[in-house]
Parts: sequence; C-alpha cells; structure tokens
Amino acid sequence: MSYLLFAFIGVLLTITTYQVVAKLQAKLCAIWLNPMLFTILMAILVLTLFGIDYQTYYQSTISLNYLLEPAIVALGYPLYQHLDAIKKQWKVIAVSLTVGAIVAISISFLLTISLTDNYAISVSLALKSITTPIALAVTEQLDGNQAITAFAIIIAGLTGAIMGIKWLSLFKIDSIRAQGLAIGAASHALGTATMSQISYEHTAYSSIALIYSAIITAIIAPGIIELLAYLSI
Amino acid sequence: MKVEQLNSLKALYSFSALLICLAIGYLVHYIVGGLPPALYGLVVLTLSLKHRLIRADFLEQTIQWIFRHMGVCFVPAGVGIIEHYELVARYGVTMVLITFVTTMILLTLVGLWVNISEKRPAP
Repeated sequence: MSYLLFAFIGVLLTITTYQVVAKLQAKLCAIWLNPMLFTILMAILVLTLFGIDYQTYYQSTISLNYLLEPAIVALGYPLYQHLDAIKKQWKVIAVSLTVGAIVAISISFLLTISLTDNYAISVSLALKSITTPIALAVTEQLDGNQAITAFAIIIAGLTGAIMGIKWLSLFKIDSIRAQGLAIGAASHALGTATMSQISYEHTAYSSIALIYSAIITAIIAPGIIELLAYLSI
Repeated sequence: MKVEQLNSLKALYSFSALLICLAIGYLVHYIVGGLPPALYGLVVLTLSLKHRLIRADFLEQTIQWIFRHMGVCFVPAGVGIIEHYELVARYGVTMVLITFVTTMILLTLVGLWVNISEKRPAP
C-alpha cells in the first residue's frame, strides 16, 4: 500500500511540474523554459534537498519509463505519412547522415582524448549522438564508460531539443527536411520528441535520422575509433 | 454511437495497435538483436500503416495526444545524471562543453548538407 502511494506521489509531482512549466512556456512564449529540462532540474533539486536517492525516485516513476517505449513506437505514424517523399530522397539522406556520423565521431573522439587524455571517456563521448541502448552496447564493445555515455547522451539530446531549431535558423537552414534530419541525427529520440510538437514532417525526418544514425554508428564507430586510437598513440 | 464513445474506442484501438507493434518489436529484437525493441516497433507501425493493416484515421487523435505529452517520459532518465556525481564533479565541465560543441557541429553539418542539396537544381 505504501509503495503504491509512494509511486503515485513521484509520478504525480513529475507530471504536475511538467504541465505547469509547459503552460508557463506557452503563456510566456519562452523557448528556453523547456518543460523537460526544468522538470529534470526541479527533480534533482528536490532529491538533493530531501536526501532521496535516485533509485527511489526511479522506482516511483517507473511507469513513466514504461510509457516511453510505446511513445517511441508512435513516431512511426508521421514516418508513414511521409514515407514516399523520404524514399525519393534516400540518397541525400543516407550520404548526409553517414558523413555527419563519421565527422561527429572523429571530432568528438579526438577533441576528448586531447583534452582529457582518457580513452574510455573519449569512446563514450564519440557515441553520444545515438539512441541509448545501442550507444551503451557499442561503448561496452570498445571499452568505454557506460555511465559517461548515458550522461553525454542526455546532454546531447537536451542541446538539440532546446536550441536545435534556433541554432539551425541562424545558418539559414530553414527547410523542414534539413531541420528534422539534423536534430534526429544529433539528438536522437529526445530531439525527435521535441520535433513532434512542431510538425509531423519534422518528426518524420527526425525519426528516419534517429534510426539510420543508430545503425550506421554501430557499424562504423568501432573501425573509426580503433583507427584514431592507433594514430593518436 | 456518441462522439465520446467513438473517441474512446479509437484511443483503445490506437493503444492496442502501439502495444502490438511494440510486442513484435520485442520479438524481432529477441531473434535478431541489434536495434532496441522500440525502434523495431516504430518500423513495424510504419509498415503496418502502409500496408493498411492498421487504420491511420483511427490513430490521428491519440498520436497527437502522445506527442503533446511524451516529453515527460524522458524525465526519470534525465534525472539519472545525479547518479554520476563523482564523474560529473571531475570531468563535468569538459564533458558538457565537448558534447555541446560537437552536437552543434553535427547539427550544422547535416543541416547545411541537406539544405544545400535541396537548393541545388535537380540534374
């Protein structure tokens, strides 16, 4: 009984905070007031203030975690609506996402190894742009640090979700296709979830980028990282 | 049938469809491995809609509702950052900066590439 009550409070507080911030964001038209980020920060603050450990919070909000998977499946709906358009542009999509993955993995690895001189962290940061389960599997394969990968994935997701569209607009990247693909490639499901509030077309391209980037990274990352590690010794 | 009844039936249909796709996703993941179950489920939903195994018009409202609220499902995982307090204290600023900068580079690269290829006249 106490467990049920406790689970109820965790979920209720999280959802209420999220809804209040979302309403506030809509009212003030403030993009920076991201409900996801603010709810995460509030939860961290509350857990720290009351000395509650993360496992307790995680257990009490596990129902939200269960809902994440069907929500990701739902991204297939906009993808279906734009499937024909995507098929016609398959080449541009494949080439841009592959080049993007190669460059991002290389720069992240080299930058990290030169700044921290730590191989495990460099592997983890090189894999941060893709969806968590695949990134963690490749991290393990390459002797990275899974905790750091998980951490960096959240930061990469929030970066694209909160600043993505604004940043791309600065470079006059205004086509829906370019915006969707870029955010799906750099900020995985978290960025794609944000796209779903903008338009179905954004979501469709973001979803295809999310899937393609995960597959291509799993295939090419081991080779690139082994080569760069060998060269930088 | 009243409108509300119809809507709740549609919602029930949609959630069942999503859960069945997810279940197939789990099955594929179990057999083939590779992608996480939810991503296989996403592909199964897309293909089922395309081949008219699932009625798209029944899904519309529920999908809209899910998209409006799905952000909150990422919160528990995000709070997980506090588990890595020591790592964050030691390398936090460097890691956040590198992640931030390289994410922006990837965004810009893919965005620019697609944008330019779009504006180039077709051969």
